[in-house]
Amino acid sequence: MSAVDRYLSIEERLNANAWDIDVYKPHIRIVDPEKCRRCEKKPCTFMCPSRCYVQQGDEVILSTEACVECGTCRVVCTHGAIEWDYPRNGMGVWFRFG
Amino acid sequence: MKFDVIVVGGGPAGLVASYRLAQWGFKTLVLERGRKPGSKNLFGGRIYAHALDAIVPEYRKEGRFIERWVRKERLSFMTDRGLTTLEFENVEREENSFTAFLTSFVEWLAGKAEAAGATLVTEITVDELVRDDKGKFIGVRAGNDVVYGDVIIDAEGVNRLLLERAGIVPKLEPRFVALGIKEVIKLDKRTIEERFNLDEDEGLAWAIAGYPSRYLPGGGFIYTNRETVTLGVVIYLDQWRSIDMPVHEAVERFKLHPSILRLVKGGTLIEYGAHMTPVAGINMAPPRLYYDGLLIAGDAAGFLLHAGVIIRGVDFAVMSGALAAEAVKRAGGDYSAGSLSVYHKLLSDSFVLKELEAFREADRTLHDPRLFNDYVKFVDSFLRRYFTVDGTPRRIYGTMKEAMQQSGLSLWKILKDTVVMFRRL
Repeated sequence: MSAVDRYLSIEERLNANAWDIDVYKPHIRIVDPEKCRRCEKKPCTFMCPSRCYVQQGDEVILSTEACVECGTCRVVCTHGAIEWDYPRNGMGVWFRFG
Repeated sequence: MKFDVIVVGGGPAGLVASYRLAQWGFKTLVLERGRKPGSKNLFGGRIYAHALDAIVPEYRKEGRFIERWVRKERLSFMTDRGLTTLEFENVEREENSFTAFLTSFVEWLAGKAEAAGATLVTEITVDELVRDDKGKFIGVRAGNDVVYGDVIIDAEGVNRLLLERAGIVPKLEPRFVALGIKEVIKLDKRTIEERFNLDEDEGLAWAIAGYPSRYLPGGGFIYTNRETVTLGVVIYLDQWRSIDMPVHEAVERFKLHPSILRLVKGGTLIEYGAHMTPVAGINMAPPRLYYDGLLIAGDAAGFLLHAGVIIRGVDFAVMSGALAAEAVKRAGGDYSAGSLSVYHKLLSDSFVLKELEAFREADRTLHDPRLFNDYVKFVDSFLRRYFTVDGTPRRIYGTMKEAMQQSGLSLWKILKDTVVMFRRL
């Protein structure tokens, strides 16, 4: 748990949460990385509240471990490059103070 | 296995529906993808009591989820340099709305539904609504398993993937939804009461325009609970082209604003979450709310009211769930669309569709960036000039005119915007 008196990085903040991570079958998938490469603004990289999408050069790297399942990435992706499903049975974020 | 009713989603809408149906003797199954009911639910922080009083009045005695009764409402314009606040304090000790964790409220509802005889199965992710060859909804599929029911209530929430897969709604458009991000900060009870000037059972609800959402449509919010403060930011998703920093930065910046930090300092962060919220109300409702063998309730139906300062979701979810149950009862075993259309009638006679219809145009005003940028900065700049005494005569109108020029407003624009706002909100 982190004291809130200073700036907390997103990683520090996410550390406060509880999860069951589905390492076998991530619930989000980039369908076509080529679409992301060509995407100019890459909205997923700044609209994801958990910073699951990181830009490296022209590419977008996705890691779903810290996903809080809001669904924003799918909605703001104008190229339809993101396949988003509800996590499998019981997996994913577990809000205790939602 | 066959059930009378299958409810998809153990949130406020689905659980109220199943609670009522189980009470009336319907063999009811609720499928919830989370580990526990409530574990995937997240909201800003306040529940309006009226729908609960009508549907589950026993909550006032049993409801340990009630954190604080809201008696203080604040509305602020915030800039990098200042904060202007309008505060309403209700000294009549009324109990109209309370702060809570949605997780706790939903857990309580789940207990009620189970005690009434509903079968609640968690950790089940429904993949598809199943139809027969005539198109009637007859069950749900989760992985390789299919469960059948005479009627399905879809209360899957705002993402509504199942409705999309069933071809009932198109993919969600950015203008229909906003992203809400919330930080839950633990502080001791007395500190909260001192800093927010509250009595023991009293709570504060605070909406803040401008700085928290980077001067874009949306805003910041703060709610006080018993021993926690929840703080967050809402950003309309169609604004993604204009935002100047990642959203997770925006919420942290808001927390660190000098006016806010002094209220939460010394606290510890115990959860960081986010959830989408419908913002277009009736404009994002599915073409119909009833189909052969199917009813749609809660966020999945767009049943959430954004009326500017007031945002209401749980009371709409609770009432729509209750009316879905009522519709199933009245359908009397015939679950064709024609028979289930009574659901629409019940919703139209209730506050759910009446209020959503009344605010049909609201989202157009609430998408207007001027309201969250020009006006917020105008108020700051006007009051800043007015309160700065330096020997220059500061008469009200002249000072206001200077501030208007600086923020790109004019009397004419303000008048026009006011008229439009009064029409829509």
